[in-house]
Amino acid sequence: MSQRHILALFNDFEEAEGAIRALRAAKIDGFNFDDLTLKSPIEHHEVEDILGERSAPVQRFTLVGALMGGLLGFFLISGAQANFYAQMKGGKPIVPFPPNFVLTYEMFILGGVFVSILGFLICAGLPAKRSPLYSAKVSEDQIGILIKAEDKAIEKIKSVFVTFEALEIQEEAGK
Amino acid sequence: MKDIREDIAWAKINQDVLKSLENPRKLYWVIVFCAMAVFSVGLGCEIYQYNVGMGVANLNNPQVWGLYIATFIFWIGMSHSGTLLSAILHLMHADWRKPIYRFAEAMTTFSLMTAGLFVMVHIGRLWQFYYSLPYPNERGIWPNFQSPLLWDAMAIFTYLSSSVLFLYVGMIPDLAIVRDNIHAGWRKKLYSALSLGWEGTDRQWRNFRVTYLTIACFLIPLAVSVHSIVAGDFAMSQQPGWHVTSFPPYFVAGALYSGCAAIITLFIILRYVFRFEEYMTLPILKKTVRLTFAIAMVWTYLNAVEFASVWYSHDQASKDVLIQKATGPYAPFWWGMIFCGSVVPFMLSIKRFQTNIPVLFAVSLLLNLGMWLERWMIVAPTFSHGYYPWTWDHNQWPSMVQWGMVFASFGWFTLLFMIFCKVFPSVSMYEVKEMVYHRKLHAAKGGNNSQGAH
Amino acid sequence: MSVTNLLENWSQFRHFHPVDDKPHDPYKWAMSIDLDTCTGCNACSVACFAENNIPVVGKDKFEHGQQMHWMRIERYWDEDVSNPGGRDFPDQGAQFLPMMCQQCEAAPCETVCPVAATNHTPDGLNSQIYNRCIGSRYCSANCPFKVRYFNWYDYPTDDSVWPAEMNQQLNPDVSVRSKGVMEKCTFCVQRISAAKITAKNEGRLVHDGEIQTACQQACPTNAITFGNLVDTEARVHKQWEAQRVEIDKDKQEKDEEKGGTDLRGYRILEELRAYPSVMYLERVRESAV
Repeated sequence: MSQRHILALFNDFEEAEGAIRALRAAKIDGFNFDDLTLKSPIEHHEVEDILGERSAPVQRFTLVGALMGGLLGFFLISGAQANFYAQMKGGKPIVPFPPNFVLTYEMFILGGVFVSILGFLICAGLPAKRSPLYSAKVSEDQIGILIKAEDKAIEKIKSVFVTFEALEIQEEAGK
Repeated sequence: MKDIREDIAWAKINQDVLKSLENPRKLYWVIVFCAMAVFSVGLGCEIYQYNVGMGVANLNNPQVWGLYIATFIFWIGMSHSGTLLSAILHLMHADWRKPIYRFAEAMTTFSLMTAGLFVMVHIGRLWQFYYSLPYPNERGIWPNFQSPLLWDAMAIFTYLSSSVLFLYVGMIPDLAIVRDNIHAGWRKKLYSALSLGWEGTDRQWRNFRVTYLTIACFLIPLAVSVHSIVAGDFAMSQQPGWHVTSFPPYFVAGALYSGCAAIITLFIILRYVFRFEEYMTLPILKKTVRLTFAIAMVWTYLNAVEFASVWYSHDQASKDVLIQKATGPYAPFWWGMIFCGSVVPFMLSIKRFQTNIPVLFAVSLLLNLGMWLERWMIVAPTFSHGYYPWTWDHNQWPSMVQWGMVFASFGWFTLLFMIFCKVFPSVSMYEVKEMVYHRKLHAAKGGNNSQGAH
Repeated sequence: MSVTNLLENWSQFRHFHPVDDKPHDPYKWAMSIDLDTCTGCNACSVACFAENNIPVVGKDKFEHGQQMHWMRIERYWDEDVSNPGGRDFPDQGAQFLPMMCQQCEAAPCETVCPVAATNHTPDGLNSQIYNRCIGSRYCSANCPFKVRYFNWYDYPTDDSVWPAEMNQQLNPDVSVRSKGVMEKCTFCVQRISAAKITAKNEGRLVHDGEIQTACQQACPTNAITFGNLVDTEARVHKQWEAQRVEIDKDKQEKDEEKGGTDLRGYRILEELRAYPSVMYLERVRESAV
């Protein structure tokens, strides 16, 4: 069964919210609720109440990154100090802890930040090509609902959008 | 007075901010031109110094550090308020930061870049700079990780790269707006590439929020560590006047202080140049001014603590340095620092001046002058009145080459900053929308909305 | 593998010097300077310039404070002039102090160098690696004695420093330093190395008196003694012992004793725990002249 995209634009979040609730309640054949994507100019974290918990595991990356950064920092630095001629400086131990902790701390943060960003890109699926239906209005002031569904479901979805006064409905040409 | 009108149409926000990428006031070009001229003076100085030798800076033995190090600390310090606005106030849900944090974060990035230049300018053999980097090599030669300068390098590298990433990630939704609106051409390509195909889907927003919050959490301890480590350059040494336990918090307070003052200056300039009156409103300025005043008092207190503890310690060498600062050849500058840093900020406590733009502009410049003097007064007097009596009769005055580069750094910073503001949206559009949206919700619920949403 | 090396030799990397450490063996170079015999003639300083290829910067740069004297004679004037029964002229109470790098056992300059260009050597010197130095000048900033000198200009190529024929007198055993590097007294390390190599070839240790530093050699009153502090036969060892100055103490026992002692030996700024290798002998003459 071939699938198509359909995008509806709404004036504000409340209308879009209503549409989503209706779509969820309608249980349309050939439409999986997880294929619904909300597009908005600002973040609406209230949306999680309707969409259900969708995970954002960036912080797992952060944890791994920070720990790796810290460990790498400490052992890289201590190892380098031990290998580098092992010549005494200022009567201090060749592998001194206070300076190494300072550097480990910095590497901890560096690793955390870098890997978080990496995690963000992976989790958010960026960089990506924009989806087939996109309206510049979404980056301005309108809320978009993008749905991927099978051909037979499209009409029903469309009627729900119309009920909730969608400003504009874009549809991918049938294959 | 409201921080921002809640009935601004979102489309108008886009329009207004996007206009700043197209046609600023004429003053913009004047500033850019002047900045370039000033910067080229410094470039000339550096070429001269590079060819002839560090001696042209009129540093001497034993006064081996001068304005370069002082100005280096100044610029590092300036960078801290970007983090204050973008990370600390973000965690505290202070809504009023939203229209102004973007340029503050850019200020962080560019003042760090300016500070980095001073490391280059300061060292005697710039062409061997790479010796100080921990690059793997088959001879097994490493830099000395015990040196506070290495910690500095590491901290600044971490801070700079994290700030750039933080600035960039926070800007992705706005870059998508620009991409959607700008006419075709090289800039369209640039923004398309930089916005990474952002379309504001729920998945993107969700991960975006978590990431932004996480990095903000990292940036706060990072910013504190950066300036404590810079303070460590001095506090870790043995010299009287430098070997002071309270230096790290003192430096951090001074950093936030000069950064906030710079935010006021740039706020006023941007507001006029890019016609941002609707977003960079006077109530927001007022909040920034009050914050600055509070930090000014923290700085004043820590300054007094430093003097008091030196005085009370009966450590004669440190005490002599303090007396030397107040009465010796540096006295005018030292008292200038006290005046600009601790007396002038009281202007900010007067309600009438808290929204008076010409007064605030002048005061913010004076505050930063005071903070620059502070850094100079930390570095220089210890050299002319250290432990060893031989240093006591050595006077030194920075040459025109040093002064030239100090002035040029302001040109360099302004140049980078102004170019940034023209190329990238310097007011965060999506966050202003959030601010407006939250206020609307709040107003709809009938809450009292006059003093800010949170 | 670096981590293996780190773990295997852990204890070797974790000790403090000189307090928790075994003393240097077989060499620890040290000095003692008798201020009572020093006449402030500056011969040591001149000899040092000649031996170590130190640039003579000229009047103009001297006025800017950019002089390079590794060995400097400091003058302190007696201010007891206006008091009744005091001196007629402050110069009568002139005191001299020859000052050069104190070759600290725990040198403050070493830890702060970002590129590890200055280190503590196994024979107890504070070494300076010119090739490695990038000129951050942090070492000088952290030196309590301010005995480090920076090459503010490129002196070897400056015609006024070593004009045409004068460069013939440069010491071939010592490198000339380019602009942008730090330098300081080395205890004439080139002479030490030469003597150590000779001794090693002959299968013995360096005798006392085999090495003379340039300043010691030039001193007309034998105020400077240089030698191996570990060698019990060495004059410098005997002097240090007689004066009860111990290298790894930041406070000498003799100073704790009630009533004090008549011993003259002291080290400058000992309380900063840099553990300098130069002992000075206090002046007992009333006046220098």
